[in-house]
Amino acid sequence: MQVPQLLVLFGSQTGTAQDEAERLGREARRRRLGCRVQALDSYSVANLIREPLVIFVCATTGQGDPPDNMKNFWRFIFRKSLPSTSLCQMDFAVLGLGDSSYAKFNFVAKKLHRRLLQLGGNALVPPCLGDDQHELGPDAAIDPWVGDLWEKIMTMYPVPLDIPEIPHGVPLPSKFIFQFLQEVPSIGAEELNLASSAPQTPPSELQPFLAPVVTNQRVTGPQHFQDVRLMEFDITESNISFAAGDVVLILPSNSEAHTKQFCQLLCLDPNQFFTLKPREPGVPYPPGLPQHCTVWHLVSQYLDIASVPRRSFFELLACLSPHALEREKLLEFSSARGQEELWEYCNRPRRTILEVLCDFPHTAGAIPPDYLLDLIPRIRPRAFSIASSLLAHPRRLQILVAVVKYQTRLKEPRRGLCSSWLASLTPGQAGPVRVPLWVRPGSLVFPKTPGTPIIMVGPGTGVAPFRAAIQERVAHGQMGNVLFFGCRQRDQDFYWQTEWQELEQRGCLTLVTAFSREQAQKVYVQHRLRELGPLVWELLDGQGAYFYLAGNAKYMPTDVSEALTAIFQEEGRLSTTDAAAYLARLQQTLRFQTETWA
Amino acid sequence: MAEFGISPGQLVAVFCDKSSSEEALKKLVGRVQGLTGSEGQVFVENITQLLQSAHKESSFDVILSGIVPGSTSLHSPEALADMARILRPGGCLFLKEPVETTGVNNDKIKTASKLCSALTLSGLVEIKELQREALSPEEAQSMQEHLGYHSDSLLSVHVTGKKPNFEVGSSSQLKLLHKKSSSVKPVVDPATAKLWTLSANDMEDDSMDLIDSDELLDPEDLKKPDPASLKAPSCGEGKKRKACKNCTCGLAEELEKEQSKAQSSQPKSACGNCYLGDAFRCANCPYLGMPAFKPGEQVLLSSSNLQDA
Repeated sequence: MQVPQLLVLFGSQTGTAQDEAERLGREARRRRLGCRVQALDSYSVANLIREPLVIFVCATTGQGDPPDNMKNFWRFIFRKSLPSTSLCQMDFAVLGLGDSSYAKFNFVAKKLHRRLLQLGGNALVPPCLGDDQHELGPDAAIDPWVGDLWEKIMTMYPVPLDIPEIPHGVPLPSKFIFQFLQEVPSIGAEELNLASSAPQTPPSELQPFLAPVVTNQRVTGPQHFQDVRLMEFDITESNISFAAGDVVLILPSNSEAHTKQFCQLLCLDPNQFFTLKPREPGVPYPPGLPQHCTVWHLVSQYLDIASVPRRSFFELLACLSPHALEREKLLEFSSARGQEELWEYCNRPRRTILEVLCDFPHTAGAIPPDYLLDLIPRIRPRAFSIASSLLAHPRRLQILVAVVKYQTRLKEPRRGLCSSWLASLTPGQAGPVRVPLWVRPGSLVFPKTPGTPIIMVGPGTGVAPFRAAIQERVAHGQMGNVLFFGCRQRDQDFYWQTEWQELEQRGCLTLVTAFSREQAQKVYVQHRLRELGPLVWELLDGQGAYFYLAGNAKYMPTDVSEALTAIFQEEGRLSTTDAAAYLARLQQTLRFQTETWA
Repeated sequence: MAEFGISPGQLVAVFCDKSSSEEALKKLVGRVQGLTGSEGQVFVENITQLLQSAHKESSFDVILSGIVPGSTSLHSPEALADMARILRPGGCLFLKEPVETTGVNNDKIKTASKLCSALTLSGLVEIKELQREALSPEEAQSMQEHLGYHSDSLLSVHVTGKKPNFEVGSSSQLKLLHKKSSSVKPVVDPATAKLWTLSANDMEDDSMDLIDSDELLDPEDLKKPDPASLKAPSCGEGKKRKACKNCTCGLAEELEKEQSKAQSSQPKSACGNCYLGDAFRCANCPYLGMPAFKPGEQVLLSSSNLQDA
């Protein structure tokens, strides 16, 4: 019989689902199965009806939404007109990656599994629900599930005995071959980037806009533990347009010190030019890399050496290691048995790829350049809520950046790649400092009708999208704006204080504040909500107001939801179940919207 | 033909009838006994007694029926079935019977092909026609006297058959995996495939009605995992200390290390792996959290490090 074709389709937002999908692809190749790994929206869904064996790997974004690269597939697969026996030839399995601190835990995987069954597909195994909140991460659920899956697949499609499985110690061939160039090419890498800064279409991930930094201003007090920056970019002639609630995506770079250290550790010449050749036909050129590229560009702007490595990193590194002591340790880290130790070494202290390579210097020095793209993932863009409106600040885009910095067991403090990089950019010294960015719609939608009021709850940096919304609504003459803002102290982190006060005087805004550290008793936004219960109930029930919530996903959304249901019971005279049903109805009709992050 | 494939130690049954030559029978039996040797056994019986004898099933390795010169037995389906029953799996039947060579349709004498079919229907396989010869004058006379049948077109046919290599009622696993895989998957209805393709080629149409995906979830899906299940299985108070590579940690060494700690503010490496980095260090190494350094390089530990350790 012919070798069956296994198809792995993934929907990935932060790269975790893609990493798991590629791991499944590698394990399939080791078992001599033909395998393709593709993003769901890159796959031509017309062919799905003839696929015999498919594994779906999907992450769930904040509000139970599908990731960006599977939204089109998601809208297609849920069409009512699809016949119920469409996928009767397909055996499938669904692997979900989620975080149980969110209410809609792995909703995308659960819904997809049910929908594929509805369309006649045959499930090989129950869906796997990976959980970031598990002490060992998603792998605690994935490892046993993958074992069951391979056992099932190998029973259905036994491989001929004369072709053995590729053992774990042997590396699979790299995807690309590095061809180093002897002469400097005529068009430099930087010129290519500049050439693409005059696009005809709006910027996207494939073609970001290089926006000059106009201002980079710290907006928390000097004594505040957190450095928060208000950053402004010039988007003149960029074809960028956005509305309130939209999101800007920024592609960061590694620091100069880290890039230099990486090249030294791997014995790479940073000024060397190279081009990439795929080993197998049909493999696309990596997006974001110029045809002729320097090693410096690759390491500083493409390889995510500041991320925490995944298990596949240790798996491949063990295959490449010539040092017995290091190889043994790397094999232990990549085995199922060593997951606890790997977690203790790498994930709990948030150790980066660069720091791991420093601990394994003999292995780092022996990495062939061909494996760099297989070993280290690409830098992911970071999403920021746009904090300004084009109507108030034409040709400008503003964001609020909380610089991530914290201490773990490691002596070096942990820093956010993008926030630290943005904070380090100082405009106007020697030419413009440019940042690659593009925009996309967010999950917040604001009402168009002039008379509809809105209630916004945005503690801390969660207030950013509401500033854009308020500016836009004020420009359109919409006056019913109520903002619940919370922070620690008014003289340390009361963002845009003067702006709110001016709007209040003009009658465009009702501001309610909660300063949690200014008195003995802590006061949060949910407490202020309950104090103003009659007003909230009158706006929601009497005037059809929309309610918005943005901020940290840890406790605040649950607390605010509880405050709302309490208001419904007290002011609306509803029972407990009726109040919960009322809140659910608000959510279904998009009159209760949240944008939260972990 | 002469040997019938008989081996020493085998059990052989020889069936004769009243027209068989007694002298020829004795000669045949003697020859067969010579082939089976002392361990074997030869059983002789008149074919008319076969059904009454009630032999145990799978008793004989070889059966010779009608082979004795002069025999003119006509084997009934019942007799053939019983011979198949008492043969061992893999056993052989050698049979001779007068047959009609013309196409005359009569219900008394079989044709050669019908004889072969009769053996097949009784459960035998590998049926072969070995030889055809004319009836001897005695056999022709016997047919006329006992069966009242006279014909110029009679011949004597030798055939052989074999019992299959398994017993009646036995079973074995059928390997239908590949065939089952392909046959179990139903073919996609062409109308369904066409509808799917039309819908897939119209991906940009946002006016399509969608199923409410929330309706697919049941109350079980809305539950979050139990926080206890999020703990690592091996976690607990008794979390084991990290074993040292090539380290022979014993009580004496621990005491020695504690003494050296008391003596000096700069503790020395107990396992010799401190310079390698956190992946190789002991669980209680004071250098945990620091980058790797070269062996022999003096790395100063601050007092907070010592207190942490």
